Amino acid sequence: MKRIIQPVFQHYWNPYLVLLLAGILSALYFGLTSTVWAVTGEFTRLGGDLLMLFGVDISGWQYFDMVHLQGATWNRPDGWIVWGMFAGALIMVLLSNSFKIRLPQQKRRYVQGLIGGVIAGFGARLALGCNLAAFFTGVPQFSFHSWIFIVATGIGTFFGAKLTKTRWWKGKPSLIRGNAKPTQVKKRIIQPYIGTVIAIFYIGLIIYFFTSGQTLLGLGALFGLAFGILIERGQICFTSAFRDLFLIGRSVMAKAIIAGMAVSSILTVVVIWIYDLTPITQIATLSTFIGGTLFGLGIVMASGCETGMMYRLMEGQLLFLPVFAGNIIGATFLAYAWDHLGVYDVLVKGGSKINLLDTIGPIGAISVTLLMLGGLYALTVYGEKRYHCKLAIKRGMNIHAN
Amino acid sequence: MQTKVEADFTLDLRGESCPYPVIYTLETLEGMNKGDMLQVITDCPGSFRNVPEEAIAHGYKFAQDPVKNGQEYVFHIYA
Repeated sequence: MKRIIQPVFQHYWNPYLVLLLAGILSALYFGLTSTVWAVTGEFTRLGGDLLMLFGVDISGWQYFDMVHLQGATWNRPDGWIVWGMFAGALIMVLLSNSFKIRLPQQKRRYVQGLIGGVIAGFGARLALGCNLAAFFTGVPQFSFHSWIFIVATGIGTFFGAKLTKTRWWKGKPSLIRGNAKPTQVKKRIIQPYIGTVIAIFYIGLIIYFFTSGQTLLGLGALFGLAFGILIERGQICFTSAFRDLFLIGRSVMAKAIIAGMAVSSILTVVVIWIYDLTPITQIATLSTFIGGTLFGLGIVMASGCETGMMYRLMEGQLLFLPVFAGNIIGATFLAYAWDHLGVYDVLVKGGSKINLLDTIGPIGAISVTLLMLGGLYALTVYGEKRYHCKLAIKRGMNIHAN
Repeated sequence: MQTKVEADFTLDLRGESCPYPVIYTLETLEGMNKGDMLQVITDCPGSFRNVPEEAIAHGYKFAQDPVKNGQEYVFHIYA
């Protein structure tokens, strides 16, 4: 038993394995439901739910019509993707006994998290998707808007990484002379038991959905759970995929995400071909670029994207409460600005939905997608090599100076 | 699990989320005298993997294997 438990719960899983599984599951989810793995659309609806709760009349807001704000979050498959991800991440955190209330020493992180969350939420919805629908599950849908989003997010993240390195932003750590005592470890381990209870309850709920004929809710809850488990166990961080390349020359996450998208693209084109499905396409226009840039900047400011925030919050990193709140505020503000402040007229109206499957056919679409991903992979490897090359020169100069 | 290694400096990063544990660790190591030992205490799960991997990628050596201390990790790295 220990041989199974040790690698599953005591170690984080290989990010390549996790993202390949996520890529396969997201293609399968699309095949079963004709919708994609996404979260920020639901964040916007949650914002709409909250506004209605406070008596705001949102009946005329076009954006809420566009994202199909109907019913409560408990009656929406997209809602169950979100709650399932929270549940899956929490169950895994508890089973591996790694929950701990973690409060940042630098109080400025709360403000940074809230502001970053607002910018990221606003940007994601302006671009009509976050790191999932406009990136990880957007590319495999052959929606051209995700190509623009990738470039824009890269630019936003670059400036975010520059900001992170400034002294006033990062603050100073507490460095002391000599040894410090690590926290006393608790002898009684109760977290795995709580995790098991939640898991049993949640699986019961999924079974209830399926047996009562609410198949779509059941699928949302089931796949949400799987995605939550995967992102927590693999510590899948889209923010770090871009940011860490600029900051410290780290490329593991970026390479794993690209590999996952490649597999998902191949599977999705097969699914579309077999079941004759219509791929999900979003408008590609100036708003995609501006939204992507804001998203990239915001996720670095907040230290986590819309998905990374979810499992980190479940780990007890309370910094991500203001990030989550910020995401919903930003997404809701965009829904307001869409028609009330003229965002649609100025930034979106001129664009059109471009799908590579329609424009260049299935063989062309999968070929250019794999080529583009190959190019991204090569750029990532180049970025990493360049960083380490510069580092070697810097170290050499230091040694020489000494 | 208590460690018997004597560190010259300790970086207490409990509570700090990624990427700050990595940034702080690398910057502190860079500012220390060569051969001095830095103890890093961290509790951001992301840092359990990226702090040791990046310290090694940046040319630093570990005095001993990382110590898992409940929900925290303790690293001992030579500058």
